[in-house]
Amino acid sequence: MTNIREKVADCLVRAGSTFREDQKEAYRKAIADEANAQSCWVMQQVLDNAIVAEERRSPLCDDTGIPHLFLEVGKNRSVSGEMMQEIMEGVELGLRQLPGRPMAIMGDDNARIDQSGGLNPDSGALKPSPILIKPIDEDVIRLTILMLGGGPAIRGITQRIFHKHNVDVVIEEIVNRATPAVSQLGCSPCVLAVGIGRSQFEATSLMMEAMVYGDFSKQTEFEKKITEKVNEANIGPLGLGGKHSVLATFAKVGPQRASGVRIVALRPCCCFEPRRASVDL
Amino acid sequence: MSKIIELTTPLSEEAISQLKVGDVVTITGYIYTGRDAVLPKIVKAAEEGTLDQLGIDLQGSVIFHTAVSPAGVGPTSSNKVEIECTFEPLSKHGVKMHLGKGAISKETVKALAENNAVFAIIPPVTALLGSQTVEQEIVAFPELGMEAFNRLKVVKYQAIIAAAKGESIYD
Repeated sequence: MTNIREKVADCLVRAGSTFREDQKEAYRKAIADEANAQSCWVMQQVLDNAIVAEERRSPLCDDTGIPHLFLEVGKNRSVSGEMMQEIMEGVELGLRQLPGRPMAIMGDDNARIDQSGGLNPDSGALKPSPILIKPIDEDVIRLTILMLGGGPAIRGITQRIFHKHNVDVVIEEIVNRATPAVSQLGCSPCVLAVGIGRSQFEATSLMMEAMVYGDFSKQTEFEKKITEKVNEANIGPLGLGGKHSVLATFAKVGPQRASGVRIVALRPCCCFEPRRASVDL
Repeated sequence: MSKIIELTTPLSEEAISQLKVGDVVTITGYIYTGRDAVLPKIVKAAEEGTLDQLGIDLQGSVIFHTAVSPAGVGPTSSNKVEIECTFEPLSKHGVKMHLGKGAISKETVKALAENNAVFAIIPPVTALLGSQTVEQEIVAFPELGMEAFNRLKVVKYQAIIAAAKGESIYD
């Protein structure tokens, strides 16, 4: 067993079982600030769940999610094929340790689409999404694992917005898309993850980056505006009403095209997301 | 938040008749689990009178809409067609509480009231529910894997009554 495999496996288990301190604090603040007793009850249950999950190193949710990998590489560091292989083996090991819900669909292309090939009962058989690699200035190789559940994937939207040279137009359209998505999600309060780029791929990559770096205690004016406007809908945790449908927005705005269009990726993350953890390799 | 109401399975007609929308309850005792793959099969067995052969007694029961996997349990959306369409027939055959998440239709809310049954929402708190689950066994249709019909012994699962007496928390 190599050091990298063990580190990656531990990172995956932490991602699936642990709330970060800024996440816990966001829940505490929302509970203290919420007048709707039913909403407070839901948020307290989510917070209690996080405490139990951390103690037991067990899944926060039975939809343990698909591992998404984000690798930051310092300019004096190198990543080998062997390291990539060890990362994959660490993911497999971590999925067995968590344990992840068995979700690997077997069979050829058609069988995997219509699910006629059956389900592999091995938690470790679940393949992660392709690795996203970002060069950074720090002298480090850092892996972040995000465990992304199915409910937010169903309600996520990646589509263009014609900005009309006004950032408020973009905010308004994001809010218009997010509000029904949050309502339909069910497992709220949410975090809205937003990426704005020049193509569908870039926008989605930026949305991933927003989930990797997002901090509940550090919100830009752009992010605050989106959160506040969606919360005006009074959807509330689990749709039970109240002013905390969304606890925060994590947005990343990338380079933009000289054009009237912006491509916006939006994911209404569930009440446990972004489930993430990082490790220096 | 009013006082938490403690319920023990099997649930009596009287206990259910006293519940109202917004009540927070705890559930202790044996409950069943099932979702879209297995619940239509349970309805069929109930209508054919073969539940006894499967070792299932629905009188006063709770059905939790969840899979049971190595990761634990957690509610799936109860308004999936193949789940919500089982509320009425299963209530007629003795189920007193359907436990899941999401808004259900007015027709289903009415059908629950006609059968003195309720719908309760449980947050997706898998770790917490794992700490409150003391036994689990597959009762029927094991070939469905994690979607088989299971029986759990639970201690103080918390839920909120979302539909009772013809009213819904989403109205």
